[in-house]
Amino acid sequence: MSGLGRRRFLVGSAALAGGATVVACAAPERESQVQSFVLQPELSLPGQELWFATTCAHSSCGNSVVVRTIDGRAKKVEGNPAFPTNQGKLNVRSQAGVQSLYHPDRLTVPRRRRGLRGANEFEDLEWPAGLDLLTEKMSEARSVVVITGPISGTRARIARDFATAFGGEHVVYETLESTVWRKTVQDGLGASRLPYLDIANAHSILSFGADFLSTWLSPTQYGVGYGEFRQGHGERGRLIQVEPRMSLTGANADSWVYVHPGQEGALALSIAQVIAAEGLAPPDNWFNVVSEVGGLDALNAYAPDRVSQRTGVPVERIQEIAREFASHQPGFAIAGGPALASTNGLDNGLAAMLLNHMVGSVGQPGGLLPNPTLRSTVTPPTEPTSFADLAGRGNTWLEGEPPDVAIVFEADPVYGMPEATRFADALGKIPFVVGIGTIMSETLGHSDLVLPSTHPFEEWGDYVPDPAPRQHVVGLQQPVVRPTTSGRSFGDILLTLWHDLRPNLAPPWETMRDAVRANAAEVFRGGDFEDRWVELLKNGGGWNDDWAPQFSAAPDWHINLLAEPAFSDNGIEFPLHLIPFEGVALGGGDETANPWLQATPDPISTATWTTWVEMNPSTAAALNLSRGDVVRIETAHGEFEAGVYISPAAAPGVLGVPIGQGHTFGGRWREDRGSNVLASLAPLTVAGSGGLAWAATRARVRPTGDYRQLPTIEVLPNARNDVEEVIVQVTNGNGDHHK
Amino acid sequence: MSSSANEAAARASAVSSMGQTIPTDAEVGHPEGVRWGMVVDLDRCTGCQACVVACQAENNIALNEEQRVLERRAKTWIRIERYWEGEFPNAKARFIPVLCQHCGNAPCETVCPVWATYHNNEGLNVQVYNRCIGTRFCANGCPYSVRYFNFWNPEWPEPMNNQLNPDVTVRTKGIIEKCTFCVQRINRAHVTAGNEGREIRSGEVQPACAQSCPTSALVFCDLNDPESAPAQLAEAEAGRSYTLLEHFGTDPGVIYLKKVDPHAEIHEDEHAHAEAHA
Repeated sequence: MSGLGRRRFLVGSAALAGGATVVACAAPERESQVQSFVLQPELSLPGQELWFATTCAHSSCGNSVVVRTIDGRAKKVEGNPAFPTNQGKLNVRSQAGVQSLYHPDRLTVPRRRRGLRGANEFEDLEWPAGLDLLTEKMSEARSVVVITGPISGTRARIARDFATAFGGEHVVYETLESTVWRKTVQDGLGASRLPYLDIANAHSILSFGADFLSTWLSPTQYGVGYGEFRQGHGERGRLIQVEPRMSLTGANADSWVYVHPGQEGALALSIAQVIAAEGLAPPDNWFNVVSEVGGLDALNAYAPDRVSQRTGVPVERIQEIAREFASHQPGFAIAGGPALASTNGLDNGLAAMLLNHMVGSVGQPGGLLPNPTLRSTVTPPTEPTSFADLAGRGNTWLEGEPPDVAIVFEADPVYGMPEATRFADALGKIPFVVGIGTIMSETLGHSDLVLPSTHPFEEWGDYVPDPAPRQHVVGLQQPVVRPTTSGRSFGDILLTLWHDLRPNLAPPWETMRDAVRANAAEVFRGGDFEDRWVELLKNGGGWNDDWAPQFSAAPDWHINLLAEPAFSDNGIEFPLHLIPFEGVALGGGDETANPWLQATPDPISTATWTTWVEMNPSTAAALNLSRGDVVRIETAHGEFEAGVYISPAAAPGVLGVPIGQGHTFGGRWREDRGSNVLASLAPLTVAGSGGLAWAATRARVRPTGDYRQLPTIEVLPNARNDVEEVIVQVTNGNGDHHK
Repeated sequence: MSSSANEAAARASAVSSMGQTIPTDAEVGHPEGVRWGMVVDLDRCTGCQACVVACQAENNIALNEEQRVLERRAKTWIRIERYWEGEFPNAKARFIPVLCQHCGNAPCETVCPVWATYHNNEGLNVQVYNRCIGTRFCANGCPYSVRYFNFWNPEWPEPMNNQLNPDVTVRTKGIIEKCTFCVQRINRAHVTAGNEGREIRSGEVQPACAQSCPTSALVFCDLNDPESAPAQLAEAEAGRSYTLLEHFGTDPGVIYLKKVDPHAEIHEDEHAHAEAHA
C-alpha cells in the first residue's frame, strides 16, 4: 500500500461503532514489531480504533463488513451500512469471523504427509520447501484439477484460467449445492442470473422448502427485506412455508404446511389448479402460461381432491393456501431445501415457478425481479459443479484416469460427498493432492501437501454477490490485519506457480492485490482511478444500476414432466424419511471449528455442539425412545449415531438431522464430535440437473441403549418449571390478543 | 412501561437488604433525562441468533463449551427463547430475545449487599464487577434469569485473546455478569457528544445486538425521547406493546411488540406457555 498516501484519506476516518462506515484501506505495517513510542508506524496509534471495509468471503455469505481494529488486532465485525445487499446487518457466521481469524488451531506452516492418506500424520515444512515440492509436482503434471468452494470475482477468474493453463478444469463444490435452483431459474424465468426477491414489497411469500431466513442463498439480504415485509409497509406480508421438516423459515411462517417429501411440485400444481378454477388471478395472467406448459386439462389432473392423499395436505388446506397466496399480491413463490433435493426436484421448482407466472409476479415489484447481466470484465460467481458431475469425475479417477495433481481450496468434498460415491478413494487415486486452507478439514487430511492460507481478513480479493440486489455489485476484500500465520492467499499461491512454470501464459499481475486492483480498474472506469480505488476500498466495493434482461413469459417446461419422487431402497425395511438440514450457525459444516458457532443454539431445538435427530412424539413412542436416547440411524449406504430430540413440529415418519458434525480433522472444537449425516446418504440425483437428491434417502432407527444429555438451552438456568407465564404474547392483528 | 399504582407503591417502599432506600426513577434522573431502553418487535424477530453472537463478540463473553451448556451454566447476555404451541401438524414455534430488562424497579438491585448492582441516571441496571462478591442474590431475584455467574475464570486459548474488546472488562471467577446495553458504546458516544458540546442523541448509539439484527427487530432508544423513532413505534403500536412478566412490577426498559399471527385463535384463557417443550 505504500505510495497511496493512506494518511491523506484517513483524515477523520476514526469512527465509533454504531454503524459508522468510515473505513481505512490497508492493514498497519509492522504492527507486531517493537516500535518507538515516539515514531509510531502509520495507522497504529495505541488504543485508537480503525475501521476497515472488506468482504466476509470466508462464510460463503458474501456480506460486506467493516472490521474494527485496535493496535493491529481485529476486534469486532459489523455490517457495512453502505453495501446494498446486507445494508449494515450481519448473520451469525459473519459475526464469528474474528474467531476463525484468531483460531488457535489454524494452520501456521506448510505440512507434508508422512503416513497414509487420511491418517493425519504430517511433518512441518518451510514455505520454500513446500512451494518447491508443489512446483516439482506441477512441472511434471499433464493435467490438474482445481477444486474450490463457491468463489467469485478475481479469485475465480484466476482459478479457472490457471486450471486451463495447466490442462485441467476448475471444479466448484458446494455441500448442498444451488445447482437445482439455478436450473429452475434458467428454465422457469429464462435468466442466467439468480433473481432478486423483492421481499420487502411483497404481500405474500409461498416458499416450498426454501429456508431463506437461515441458510438459503443470501439470508442476511433476505432478513433485511423480511423485517419490512412484516412491519414495514401498510399490509403485513403473509408467509406460507411448505416442507416436510420445519425449518427456521417455517417456524416463522403464518402457515406452516407439512407435505410428504418430494410432493411439493404436486402441491404447487394443485394450488395453481385452484387459482385457475376459482379465478383467483386474472385469466390474462395465466391462461397463456398454462397453455404453454400443458393446458388446463393437464393442470386439472392436480385438482386438490386428486392430490390430497399423495401430498398429505387436506383438500381444504390446499384451497386455503391458494386463496391466501393469490389474494395477497404482489407476492411470489420460491423453492429450495428438500423440495429441490428430491429426485424430481427440478420439476418441483418449476411447478412453483409456474405460480409466479400465474399471479403475475414475474418482473413486478413485490415479486421476482431480474438482476443485471454481469459485465464481461467481471468473472461471474462460479457455477457450482453438480453432484452427478463430480461423482462422475470421481468414477473416472477410480477407473484409472485421474489428473496428476489436485489443488483443493475452501472445499471439503471428502466430508460432504456420500460415502457411496467413494470420493475419498477417488481423490486417493490422484498422485498428488495439495490442500489449501486456514484449518484442517477432511479433504486437507487426505492431501499430500497442506498449505496454510491467509484468512479472508488478511488478504486481497473481490466478490460478486449472487443473488445481486438489482444492481451491478462488486465487493472488495482487503487485509484488515497483518497475517497472523505464515499463510499465503490462494490467489497468490496460484499466481506464483503460474509465473514460475508457465510465464508465457501467466497474467500480467504477480499478486492478488495487483489483480484485484486491475479488475476494479476495468469494472469501475472513469476519472482518476487512484482516487476511485481509494473510494472503492473505503466503501467496501462499488455498485451501480445496470440494464437487466427481462424474464421469459412462461416456464420452459411441461406439467407432464413432473414425476413421482424416487427414494432409496424400500419403505418396508427403511420406513422413515431422512431429511438433513443446514443449521443457521454451522451451515454445511465448514464453520464447525468455530466455538461461537458450535455454541450457537439451533433455533428449533436449541441444541448445540452435537448431532441430534428431530423425531415426532409418536415416532419416538413407537420405538420406546425418549429425549437424549442415543439411536443408530441406518440407511442402505451407511449409519451414524444421534441423540433423540422429540419435537412437536416433526412429522411422523420424518427424521430431521443437522449437517455439520462428525469431523476427524479441524481442531479441538470440531474433531470427534457428533456424526456426519451426509456420509450415509444415497447417491441419488435430481433429474434434469444432476444435483444431489439429499432428501431422498430412507432410513431406520435402532436404539443403542445409551443415553446422553442433549446440550440444549431450552430448559433455562433457574427455570421455574412449576410456573406458567405468558412470555411470547400474540395478536391476530384484529385487535385480539393473548392475555 | 408500567406505571400502575401497585408498582409505584412497590418502588416507593423498596428497601435494600442493607436498609438503604432505593432511589426512584425521578431521583436518579429520569423521566426528565435519558432512559435507555429497547423495543423488540417479535413480529420481525426470526430467531436467527445474530444478536447472540454479536453480543458475545462485543462483550468478551466466555466460550460456552459443551460442558457449560450441559451444566446450564452457559452465559448468553441475550438469548433466543423458543416456545412451542400445539402439536404436529399445527405446531408453532415462538421466538423471543431475552436480555436484561434494565428494570426501573429492579429486584436485583435491592438484594445486593454490596451495591455491586445499581440503577444509574440513564436507566441502566449497572453491574460493578469489582464490587461483586458473588452472593448470587441478584441472579436469584431476577425473574428473567438474565444474570450469569462466573463459575470459572474464562479462557481464550492464544491467539484467540487477540479478539478481546479492550473496552470491556473480562470477568473473573466468582462474580455476576449481565447485559449492559453495551455501556461502553454509550460512554463513548457521551464522550463524542461532550467533545462536540451537545447532548447525546437517541439513535446515536446502538448495542451490538441491535446493530447486527438483520430484520431490525431490536431497536435501541431513549425511552424518554418522544421524538425517537422507537418511542414513536411503541406509541403507534400500543396495541401490540407489552413488557415481560409485567405483573411483577419491575418496570422493564425493554418493550416487546407482540407477535402477529393472523391464524391465531385467541381465547381468554389461552396462553403461550412459558414451559419449554421437553
